[in-house]
Amino acid sequence: MNVVGSEAMAFDYTNGTAGIRGDIPAAHRDVWRMVAGPGNWWGGADRIAFAQESRNARSCEFCAERKAALSPLSITGQHNASTNLPDAAVDAVHRITTDPSRLTRDWLESTYDHGLSDARYVELLGVVVAVISIDAFHRAMGLPLEPLPAAQPGSPAGYRPAAAKDSGAWVPTVAPEDVAESEADLYGGMSRTGNVISAMSLVPDSVRMLTRLSGAHYLKVKNVANPAANGGRALSRPQIELIAGRVSSLSDCFY
Amino acid sequence: MLRVSSQSNEEDVNLASIVEGTARDSGIDADKALIEFAEAGLGDDGDAIDAARNTVAEQLGEDAMVDAAGVIANFQRMVRIADGTGIALDDAVMMLTADIREDLGINAYGGAENSTEVGTGKRIIGRLMTPFVSRLISRIAPR
Repeated sequence: MNVVGSEAMAFDYTNGTAGIRGDIPAAHRDVWRMVAGPGNWWGGADRIAFAQESRNARSCEFCAERKAALSPLSITGQHNASTNLPDAAVDAVHRITTDPSRLTRDWLESTYDHGLSDARYVELLGVVVAVISIDAFHRAMGLPLEPLPAAQPGSPAGYRPAAAKDSGAWVPTVAPEDVAESEADLYGGMSRTGNVISAMSLVPDSVRMLTRLSGAHYLKVKNVANPAANGGRALSRPQIELIAGRVSSLSDCFY
Repeated sequence: MLRVSSQSNEEDVNLASIVEGTARDSGIDADKALIEFAEAGLGDDGDAIDAARNTVAEQLGEDAMVDAAGVIANFQRMVRIADGTGIALDDAVMMLTADIREDLGINAYGGAENSTEVGTGKRIIGRLMTPFVSRLISRIAPR
């Protein structure tokens, strides 16, 4: 596994990469630090393994074969895993990375008998999507992928928000009106938020990583709802949303 | 958000460009370059990504190119959160987008079964509200 022990030089975009706003590497470094540390349900080494498996998935022959199949359940095989994660976790990471639009509630719940749980899955998802988006930025910019950070010691906190409840999604979520004092920052103090923001609130740090990255890659939460706001970007808001819409459409994403 | 943001900017946009890509003129400045960058950014062809990125930089400048790369990255995350948690499309958005989703074929996308389609009444209300949708979204969206 390609890892780097020091974060000091992580995401150094100053060497021949003109024009990258300073808030982007700052957000990437913050998220790398969060990924490397213990979470609520997984240790740092597991979380780094999620990141590694997400990278493995892009060249996984079984994933490619399954992606091409009419039904993802119609074929069986082995992922090109390089970690010691439980099989269900490896499969979840690879599916999220390569074939997300065909994930189902039945599939997710079937993993609960094989080492995952709702909260363990949400934490895995939060790490995977963070790494995917940072890697995607590097690919789009023609930059090499950042080496994964070294796992930090520590035990998972085992924290589950008491206010998490069934909101109709596959996993419980915390509604803005229910957030505890310790999660007052989660939705920026807003009384409403989009379902996609609260989707991972069963593991609050997953939401924090999401908003940290979105604020740098897209728009800060306060600007998202204002259709006239472009957050000071060099693109107009319609240009931003044209890209967003095209990526979502090509990803076969209804939301 | 493309529709409401274009309304706010008083631009006339063809939403079909989201689904059909460069085959449609969206009416947005430099749309072809941005769409091609988005399309390349989802793949692994480094040469195609480089070419598309350079075109955006030539047409809109380096800052815009970086911003576009950020948006491409961002939505590769957001689509997986939505599809990976089975969330429903927010109620107000379901109502206001009923016609668009049907016209563009978006209701056939993965994850559509996680949302309950609005009835005829809400569909009519959504249609009536369309001309005012940007102001409405500003009111009902997170504050």
